[in-house]
Amino acid sequence: MESHCLKRPTRRQFLSSVAFAALAGSAGGAVARSISGEPPWQSGAADPPIQVRPGGWMFFTADEVSTMEAVVDRLIPADELSIGGREAGCVLYLDRQLAGSYGASARLYTAGPFLPGLPTQGYQNAETPDQRYRLGIASLNAWTRDNKDGKRFAELSGDDQDAVLKDLEAGKIELPNKVNAKAFFNLMLSGAMEGFFADPIYGGNKDMASWRMLGFPGARYDYRDHVSKHNQPYPLPPVSIAGSTEWMSR
Amino acid sequence: MRTIALSLSLAVSALVSSSVLAQAPDDDAKIIRGRYQAVLADCAACHTKPGGASLAGGAPLQTPFGELVPPNITPDEETGIGSWTAADFRRAMKEGIGHDGKRLYPAMPYPAYTKMSDQDIDALWSYIRTVEPVHNPVEANQLPFPFNIRLVMLGWNMVNFEPGDFRPDPNRSEEWNRGAYIVQAAGHCGTCHSPKSLLGADKGDEALQGASLQGWYAPNITGNSYLGIGSWSEDEIVAYLKTGQNAHSIASGPMREAVQESTSRMNDADLKAIAVYLKSTEGGETQKPQPIAAEDPHMRAGAMIYHDTCSACHRADGTGGRQLFPALAGSPLVQQPSAETLTHVVLNGSQGAATPEARTTPAMPSFAWRLDDQQVADVLTYIRNSWGNAAPPVTADDVKAQR
Repeated sequence: MESHCLKRPTRRQFLSSVAFAALAGSAGGAVARSISGEPPWQSGAADPPIQVRPGGWMFFTADEVSTMEAVVDRLIPADELSIGGREAGCVLYLDRQLAGSYGASARLYTAGPFLPGLPTQGYQNAETPDQRYRLGIASLNAWTRDNKDGKRFAELSGDDQDAVLKDLEAGKIELPNKVNAKAFFNLMLSGAMEGFFADPIYGGNKDMASWRMLGFPGARYDYRDHVSKHNQPYPLPPVSIAGSTEWMSR
Repeated sequence: MRTIALSLSLAVSALVSSSVLAQAPDDDAKIIRGRYQAVLADCAACHTKPGGASLAGGAPLQTPFGELVPPNITPDEETGIGSWTAADFRRAMKEGIGHDGKRLYPAMPYPAYTKMSDQDIDALWSYIRTVEPVHNPVEANQLPFPFNIRLVMLGWNMVNFEPGDFRPDPNRSEEWNRGAYIVQAAGHCGTCHSPKSLLGADKGDEALQGASLQGWYAPNITGNSYLGIGSWSEDEIVAYLKTGQNAHSIASGPMREAVQESTSRMNDADLKAIAVYLKSTEGGETQKPQPIAAEDPHMRAGAMIYHDTCSACHRADGTGGRQLFPALAGSPLVQQPSAETLTHVVLNGSQGAATPEARTTPAMPSFAWRLDDQQVADVLTYIRNSWGNAAPPVTADDVKAQR
């Protein structure tokens, strides 16, 4: 436990850092704005999300695409409940995320120092998600090449792929390039789930397949008319931020 | 910051009161009456630019004939109306002829102001003389040929303009006559709300029955209970004009400005008089048509769009939420012959008026990014023909023209 804790700063370090922060704050342009009269509003103003359109890959190489498609289709296989992760567009979702601000951790604090953190503190290392996927996929394929008759992960049978994924999850495999197998597995698993369950405008969850499977009504926020209707299924089909096919009159 | 603002406002009020005090006490009362006439006439709506100096010239007006820029009417000698006499001002208001004999365009609502009493016009003149003079040259006439020739207004006036005082109706109450006077004269409600002829003149026999302007539809405000405000009580009309909202509606577009700058500053007796008069007027279609069947494919698509996009605020049954979300069910605005205002609001959003008694200014966001032309048309067709509403359908082309 002790080894996980950051060293506490001395009193002197603390005071000087506060003084510096105050200086930096006053030098910077952050100025509070006061609004009087009426709240600001502009006609026609909108900040809509950008709809992901399939076609071409912005981050993954062709090899990485085939590896990731194999992975997401084992994590979320097609069955009687829904389509699989590959058909749902999980890899397209990940590709656009990794090419965007998520890939570069542009909106997360990722400067050092890099010390081992507690599990509750989340990811504590220097590599950004795009670096982790690039190195992780390459290391996974290097490992299968060395241990599975020279095959890439995507070339293994479904059962073999499942076995490799289970060993990754359990931390039983030591991947090259010092890639933490367990952490990389969890990264891919959460990425696949995000792609499968997020709004279709982000590239995955094709035709709201996962929402239909769950009975999740989608991008709505008012259920007052249904609160008192106990034990009755919600009647409306799911809706995406971008709308639904039910909106077409033709 | 607060102290600065406070001392500034003290300085300003000191300035104002000293200039007022410099007048004789009689003038004092007259100036105050004149300031109220400026509220009734909403001079600032056109002659003050948003964020600009008071009455020093406004933002360009888009008319069907071209662009007109409301001139500087501060007492600046060179660029305002500082060199005018009271008689010049009266002639402009009553005859539409400016200081130098130039004919005004009826975007300046002299066809309504002509009905103002000489006493009210003189009081307004006294007030305008006290406004801070601002040097701001404005080229008002930016119309294309031939409309840029002011003399064409001579012919227009012969056909369309009837100068003369407001004539009270002796068979009506004093309150009714006061309301009629405000609506027809200084308030110039018909400038927006009365249908226009091809020449841009009010169609007198269709007064206040609703008209298009600048991408909005100023609705029927007669006592018609289907399309007008006949279903509103006098108190509800007063509340709307005073606060910009009531149980049925929230002001949007140009009416929002009119409420903020003009009607919310009128006194309660005048608002009541306006309500009494408007409720007594008649006009427009009174027979509600058969609503479009719910099975119509456009109605079906519209219903889905409504439930997925609008119902969270306006409720599934179109009743809205008091003080925040206007009711759509039973709304005369929703059932106007033209859906321009509705289209404008869906495409661009809208913000309620900020008035001393209603400061929240609830706003609706733009849905232009989420709905295509056909979807906007279908959802509007749906709200115009549901919950007891009935009105002509909206087409994708109607929406496209406004996008």
